[in-house]
Amino acid sequence: MPMESLPYKTTPTNWKRWAWVIPYAGLALLILFIPLPLPFHAPQDRLLRIEASSFQFTPGEIQINPGDRVTIELVSTDVVHGFSLDAYGFELKADPGQTATGTFIADQAGVFRFRCSVACGNLHPFMIGKLQIGPNLLFFRGIALGLLAISAALISVRNVSRGTT
Amino acid sequence: MTRLDLTRSPRALALLRSRWPQFLLRAITLAGFIFTILAGLMGSVVGSHNFAIIFVWIAWWTALKLAFIPFGGRSWCSICPIPMPGEWLQNGGILQPRGSMGIGLGKRWPKVLRGTWIQAGGFLLIGLFGALTLTSAKITAIVLLFILVLALALSLVFERRSFCNYLCPIGGFSGLYAQAGPVELRVKDTDICAAHIEKTCYTACPWGQYPLALKSSANCGLCMECLRVCPSENIAVNLRPWGSDLGPKTKHRIDEAFLGLVMLASALVDSAIFLGPWGQLKSAAYNIGSPDWFLFAGAFLITALGILPGLYVGATWAANRFGSTNASLRKSLAHYSQVLVPLGLMVWIAFTISFAFVKFGYVLPVVTDPLGWGWNLLGLTKSAGVGETTSFSLVLQVAMLTVGLFWSSRVALRISETIRQAAPLIAFSSLFTMAMLWLLVG
Amino acid sequence: MKKERIARWIVIILVLTAIGVPLGSWWLSRAQGTQIEIHARMPENGGWSIDTIQAKVGQPIHLRLTSDDVVHGFALGKSDMESWLSIFPGEYVETTLVFEHPGKYIFYCTRWCGLNHWRMHGEIIVTGEGDPIPGDSLPLFLQYNIDIDAPHYAENIPSSPPSVERGSRFSDRLPNYAIDKQTYFLTSPEGLWLKLRSEPSLSDLSDMDIWDIVRWIWDRQNSSNSQSLGFKLFMALASAAHGESGRGDGVMARGLPVMDHSNMGSGLVRPPDFTDPHVLLSASPAILEGKIIRGGMGTGMPSWGSILSRDQIHSIIDYLYTIAWESIK
Repeated sequence: MPMESLPYKTTPTNWKRWAWVIPYAGLALLILFIPLPLPFHAPQDRLLRIEASSFQFTPGEIQINPGDRVTIELVSTDVVHGFSLDAYGFELKADPGQTATGTFIADQAGVFRFRCSVACGNLHPFMIGKLQIGPNLLFFRGIALGLLAISAALISVRNVSRGTT
Repeated sequence: MTRLDLTRSPRALALLRSRWPQFLLRAITLAGFIFTILAGLMGSVVGSHNFAIIFVWIAWWTALKLAFIPFGGRSWCSICPIPMPGEWLQNGGILQPRGSMGIGLGKRWPKVLRGTWIQAGGFLLIGLFGALTLTSAKITAIVLLFILVLALALSLVFERRSFCNYLCPIGGFSGLYAQAGPVELRVKDTDICAAHIEKTCYTACPWGQYPLALKSSANCGLCMECLRVCPSENIAVNLRPWGSDLGPKTKHRIDEAFLGLVMLASALVDSAIFLGPWGQLKSAAYNIGSPDWFLFAGAFLITALGILPGLYVGATWAANRFGSTNASLRKSLAHYSQVLVPLGLMVWIAFTISFAFVKFGYVLPVVTDPLGWGWNLLGLTKSAGVGETTSFSLVLQVAMLTVGLFWSSRVALRISETIRQAAPLIAFSSLFTMAMLWLLVG
Repeated sequence: MKKERIARWIVIILVLTAIGVPLGSWWLSRAQGTQIEIHARMPENGGWSIDTIQAKVGQPIHLRLTSDDVVHGFALGKSDMESWLSIFPGEYVETTLVFEHPGKYIFYCTRWCGLNHWRMHGEIIVTGEGDPIPGDSLPLFLQYNIDIDAPHYAENIPSSPPSVERGSRFSDRLPNYAIDKQTYFLTSPEGLWLKLRSEPSLSDLSDMDIWDIVRWIWDRQNSSNSQSLGFKLFMALASAAHGESGRGDGVMARGLPVMDHSNMGSGLVRPPDFTDPHVLLSASPAILEGKIIRGGMGTGMPSWGSILSRDQIHSIIDYLYTIAWESIK
């Protein structure tokens, strides 16, 4: 009884029903990737003193502007900790009593996590802080995409209800 | 709806029919499971150097959410080793179909304990103790051992896979989201089944399902026992469009709504603990028994049992008012639980991308030194880098959340009479998606 | 049924392998046992897993060190900084030690691992034939019966930074005792200043000139090598408590009450502020040596006498005085 080959279909798909997907996908890509102008702030030198203790950075959330020249002073207050900033390849390690200092230019905008880079106990993998450089465009893009998703859902269902389902 | 029946390919059918491929996979996962328990108990107490932590919480947990469920529904259940020892006893053999050869009382699971309530409760417990379980190899091992022993003990008292059906939190998780998955097991020709008196498939099913009555993939563990015993080759294993069990006519129970809400709350709280910059929250979740932990547990339970259900009930109540039929609120709560399925699935996928992509570097070191005893079996690098979230991973997380919102909105619209009626559910999904968006990329 | 039996054997063999690999290799590593495996843990979690090790003179012991929680360090008491090891969580570091003299050796943690870091030490007891470990000379405060707990606070301090270079100009006019090593050890800078101030032969010099002389004498007594070693030791061992600048505001101590003589011995207190010249200019090297060797008697200052060599302690003292001199404005 089994047939010899795949594929097997009970009903053909009505692909026309899904034609709206193409412009929507294009729009979604546009929303995600279109370059947007950032508000300009004159770059400034910033000295950030960050205290690392098990298992948090203080301050844990920092906002700066793109182009700023950032000097991080990492102060460990209990055991050896590290500071590694996503996407920047910037890392510091500090023993208690021995402040580590490093400087970088905040030339990439967005929100970046910084994490402890020296194993410091069970919660070490989750010792995380947040550095926001300029406005968080990805968050706003996400909200715009959400609105697009809802309108896409409306269109997809309207088209479906005209179809056979 | 379009379906692609895998059993129509002789090769695929042979693979599914034979007990050997699945048996071998399960034998390997069983050995792996036992090794994991031993590694957790005997190996390094440093989580990143212990096979148990990395393979359970990074490799397997990620594979479940990114591969097994979205591409195979309950496919993990089909190779899960946990029921294996119990079934050996129940069936009197390891390569045997269900029968009367084995030992065990074979009692039916009590009616009051049916449904996914206990599974949801188990998932809440995982969340409440998650920060410790996730980081302590010993606790992970003890939990796994407890699960293995519990499943074995229950299989001696109750019939079939009672543990999987009613207790296993992962079974609940997989079952809920398998409704959105692209795999289903169904009968080919209902007339053949109707004419078949012996119901060998029902007798053989470890899950207690009758394939002819199977409308949802939530309760089918894809074990293929029915396919093996069907005298008429009337069982199909279909590839299907995602979300096929979700629609205006499918049946849903109120416990699915509860399970779905618990999953949403867990994703929210896990994101806040493990991905957020709030150190005190992490410590509170970790220091079980401390006053801070009770605060955390209270906040978690209020989110999971108060705020989210409250919002959901509110949305359903509003949807109910906008509808023309006078469905009871209880019925609507069950009906609209479908909205929570794609929302939850995609949110968990986004969370997993954020959580696990950073930590994949830990996998190779524990392959080469599973117990953290300083071995180097494969000559690989012995310590993992810090890991980082890439911009690709961030965009992917946003994309997954967007798909989740689209999908759940679409389900809400499809199961409502009017857009107006779907609007409160869409608003609920939007609010939740935005909260996750803020936690993941905010 | 034949297939069933094969299947059962497959399961049994796989499961036994899964059990056998960890158990077997654990047993093998026990049986071979040429190495001593020591787990370092924060003192709150148990400290060193083995804190007493037996050894024989001339017979090497092989240590295999790992950490269960945070970064720790391993060093033998009085050893050079170059021989200190770092122990990273989950990773192993091996070292072989041979002892020439019978006696008791100290090992301790060299990287701060929390408030109780300084409690983390153990002993190696070496037995066998041979001369005992050469002991340190009696601390100066015991030799000369100095009360190192007496309050000291300089009433006279320089009004501007003294200069070694200016002080050196008067070197040929100094009395003999001024450049004597023993005078240096037993006299505080203020004490020496007072003594020289009262010298009739130097009465034509200004107060500041005398301070320049004292500064020059202090510089003469210690080399820049010693100061830089002292700096390294201070940063590794002390700055978490005493502060990186010596202000007494180290991360481990900044929340503690300020020390005064009413709360001596009543619990942990903040270390003194070395950048206040009144503090160190009234302390002789003998007093500082005594405090370092003996420790703070309840203030939280550990006893360093068995952990640091006398030379290491003197390097730290040399460095401390540079803090005092450099904080004079």
